[in-house]
Amino acid sequence: MSIRKTTAILTGLIIAAILMAGCGSSQAATPENTAANGNAPVTLNGAGATFPLPVYTEWIQMYKSVQPDVTLNYQGIGSGGGQKAILDGTVDFAGSDSLLKEEQYRQMPDLQMLPIVAGAVVPIFNIDGVDSLALDGQTLVDIYMAKITKWNDPAIAALNPGISLPDEPIIVAHRSDGSGTTEIFTAFLGAVSQEWAETVGVGKAVEWLPDQIGQGVGGKGNPGVAQAVQSTPFSIGYVELAYAKSNNIPFADMVNAAGNRVTANADTMKDAMAAFADSFDDHLTTEIVNAPGENSWSLMGYTYLIIHMENTDCDKTAALLDYIRWAISDDAAAQKAADLGYATLPDAVRNLVMDKLHEVTCDGKPVL
Amino acid sequence: MAQEIFSQVNLPRVYRRRRLVNKIMLGLTALTLILALIPLVWIIVYVLIKGGRHINLDFFIHLPQPMGTTGGGILHAIEGSLVMVILASVFSIPPALLAAFYLTTHDSTPLASAIRFSTDLLAGVPSIIVGLFGYAIIVLAQKHYSALAGGVVLGMIMLPVVIRSAEEMLKLVPPDLRAGSLALGAPEWKTAIRVVLPAAAEGIITGIMLGVARATGETAPLLFTALGNDNYEIGTMVKQGIAHNQSIFAILGRIFEQPADALPLTLWKYAQQPYPERVEQSWAVALVLMLFVLALNILARVWIARRRSALQ
Amino acid sequence: MVIDEMKSTINITATKKQFPYRKNLMAWLQHGDRIWSLLLWLSGLLVVILVVWIGWRLWIESAPSRAEFGWAFISPWAKASWNPALDKFQAWSSIYGSIVTAVIALFLAVPFSIGIAIFLAELSPAGLRVPLNYMVEMLAAIPSVVYGLWGIYVFLPTVVVPIGKFIAATAGQIPGLAIVAGGHMPVSGLSRLAAALILTIMITPTIAAVSRDVLLAIPNSQREASAALGATQWETIWKVLLPNGLSGILGAVILGFGRAIGETMAVTMVIGNTTGGGYSILKPGYTMASIIANEFAEAVSALHTSALVEIGIVLFFLTLILNAIARWLVWRVKKQVMGE
Repeated sequence: MSIRKTTAILTGLIIAAILMAGCGSSQAATPENTAANGNAPVTLNGAGATFPLPVYTEWIQMYKSVQPDVTLNYQGIGSGGGQKAILDGTVDFAGSDSLLKEEQYRQMPDLQMLPIVAGAVVPIFNIDGVDSLALDGQTLVDIYMAKITKWNDPAIAALNPGISLPDEPIIVAHRSDGSGTTEIFTAFLGAVSQEWAETVGVGKAVEWLPDQIGQGVGGKGNPGVAQAVQSTPFSIGYVELAYAKSNNIPFADMVNAAGNRVTANADTMKDAMAAFADSFDDHLTTEIVNAPGENSWSLMGYTYLIIHMENTDCDKTAALLDYIRWAISDDAAAQKAADLGYATLPDAVRNLVMDKLHEVTCDGKPVL
Repeated sequence: MAQEIFSQVNLPRVYRRRRLVNKIMLGLTALTLILALIPLVWIIVYVLIKGGRHINLDFFIHLPQPMGTTGGGILHAIEGSLVMVILASVFSIPPALLAAFYLTTHDSTPLASAIRFSTDLLAGVPSIIVGLFGYAIIVLAQKHYSALAGGVVLGMIMLPVVIRSAEEMLKLVPPDLRAGSLALGAPEWKTAIRVVLPAAAEGIITGIMLGVARATGETAPLLFTALGNDNYEIGTMVKQGIAHNQSIFAILGRIFEQPADALPLTLWKYAQQPYPERVEQSWAVALVLMLFVLALNILARVWIARRRSALQ
Repeated sequence: MVIDEMKSTINITATKKQFPYRKNLMAWLQHGDRIWSLLLWLSGLLVVILVVWIGWRLWIESAPSRAEFGWAFISPWAKASWNPALDKFQAWSSIYGSIVTAVIALFLAVPFSIGIAIFLAELSPAGLRVPLNYMVEMLAAIPSVVYGLWGIYVFLPTVVVPIGKFIAATAGQIPGLAIVAGGHMPVSGLSRLAAALILTIMITPTIAAVSRDVLLAIPNSQREASAALGATQWETIWKVLLPNGLSGILGAVILGFGRAIGETMAVTMVIGNTTGGGYSILKPGYTMASIIANEFAEAVSALHTSALVEIGIVLFFLTLILNAIARWLVWRVKKQVMGE
């Protein structure tokens, strides 16, 4: 009899669950349902760049106490993933540090990129006993074009007098996913080297020449590259500064466009950003690589949130705009970003973003 | 006994050689087994030791902390796995049982052969392909990643496992039972549900357990369907829902329609992190996942074995 | 069948006695049995439809890539290139990765699996058989990501790297072999070799379990006849049982090959994720499954997406064919055995 009872209970459960699933999904499919309840709890789903992931996860944690009814979910799947997700319409907002292309704006004209913070890309390395290294643009180009394949190459040695570099092959770590970090990195290499721009190109994902000689290794996301470099002796890679800082991975100084050796920090980042302060285009995007300043860090980029300018779910839109406003203007949020090694927006840029937020509409009416 | 007698006789050379070959080769087969079990023991012991250190109550009842900070747990992954596996069971068990009934009652029709063949094929389809399919038919159509989509693809993984074992178990039910019930005038469906199914219930449940174990351990199909969600927490969603007077359907809808995390998905993400804390936690996730999957497997197999011997 | 005839008689008498419409409807439905058999039929059909649907959907979605690149996409002789920035895709590197890792895994796993199958089916003391069976099945049940985690942090540094260095120092020095076994073993161990070795561990239990079932299906009369002729146990196994079960074991091996080709997570975690890398097994690479896992979520351009789906379709049909062959072989040996 107990078997029959079990079966009965099981059947009951299954039927109940089917009913729930059916009703649940049909209910959720109608946005009016949530809107009818006034300010119902809102879930905002986003995905994209891993470049700002450390600060985004901190902000989302902080925002829980600012707006308990708003649940944010941001998955670091790479800038390419973020762009694909927002173009496919599978997320409410996307994160990207790679700029949308004209054809993508044509495909979905109401997309808007909003700069949120800026960050530095740093070359990280793993060489036993070496914790400070200097590189310049051309050397980095040659390493990533597999022209320099050993650590004791004269070009590297010339930049690092007094440091004994090993006679070991350089393992070149790069992203295995479509990445805005890669775009910033390759944009810099392309700016330094004509050859790079013509043969390898600039983009979220490129064909890595060190792979061809078996000295490349791909990591997923900024975390994947950081982890690959950490665990691979004699490797080099590139990640956002926060990943290097919080995991104590040594990163190289760069000789900048002005010929000075600088390290990535708040000052050198601010210096680079200042040089491009009014270079924002109509899409509110700009590139800040290879800055000309005396004291500028060469590999930098803004990271953006991509949102829709015209929306239909007003609760969600309002919640999202509130969050963005909070993220770029709240002092504690700014402090957290600075602690992690990001550079917050200059005032002029922040005002541009704020203006843009006021232009966002829902059902044809402004939201803020 | 026979061997003892033989060994006392002075055997010709060729026989001695044959006996030696026999011993060596049989010994080698034992060696292969021992060698194959080394990784098993190695993995289990390593995961137990590494992961065991980080298992505590907090780990099970908290959401993850921002990356790079210590503490935090995997509540989101446990709840996500739970929801998706329940959904997968709901989607896969009823059709699987019905298909298994079809196979036992229409043993040799062309459709039966086609079903058996397709079941085997479906079991062999790489799970990443099932994920691609789920993305195309659900995520793109619904315009968002969701636990529901994850449930559907996991259901597709479970389907062949449950059909196979259910068919086997239904076949073990003595035909007299079915004949007796039909002779008493009960319709086929009532016979199936009230007579045959209870008789095979134990075996079928074990098959379902194997399916659940398989679905719980799958990562690849979830990459493009469930996506992941660090803040997936049913308690909060229910609380918020009640506070805003939402209907139970609206709350359930929210639970099913959100992106969700799962234990293997979390493990995969954590394992590729530079943050030492995350890597340490990934071992603990591995421990939870492995113990759950292995326990289900062992339980199911012990149960099946007992049932088979009872019937024979 | 007799039962069905009896049933319809019963139903006819039931209709004759009762006139109300509702009862008539029920009778027409044969007390719900028509609905029931429709349900059974539909559920059965669902499985068939799913397989066809998956194939069809992948075929449709891969259309742009098929139109753009044609057969050169999967050709070993076309210029290998996987460049999302320039929208140029050629899949040979990942196809090669899948094949080479799966083939190596098979070569290593087959002797082990057959040894295990023989031990479990023929030799194991009765008391040990059940726990040993469980352990082999547990090995198959451990989730793929756990293998991956253990692979990255434990298996690669302790086992794969030394083996890789050994191969580089021996086979890598032989001119002919240097193409597939040459070069410098990465210190991290991330390589095709690592994927192949992890796959070996993962497919061994699958092949072993099916082979064991094949051996157990061979009737005892065969063993007794062989023993009566004076054969040792090994001779019985080697000359009677294995040849008899050969096609079934071959089926098991092909099943294992299908498993290895389709395995995703563990491979993605240890193979190093690069396109290119030449032919050496000591170098990082990609498999078909792992390139989809890594790149599909972020393939923005339509061509990139459909190129990945086309890899998916290659993978899908490959596993379909392998499974069909394996199934046929196993089925044949079982039928033979039953027939005797």
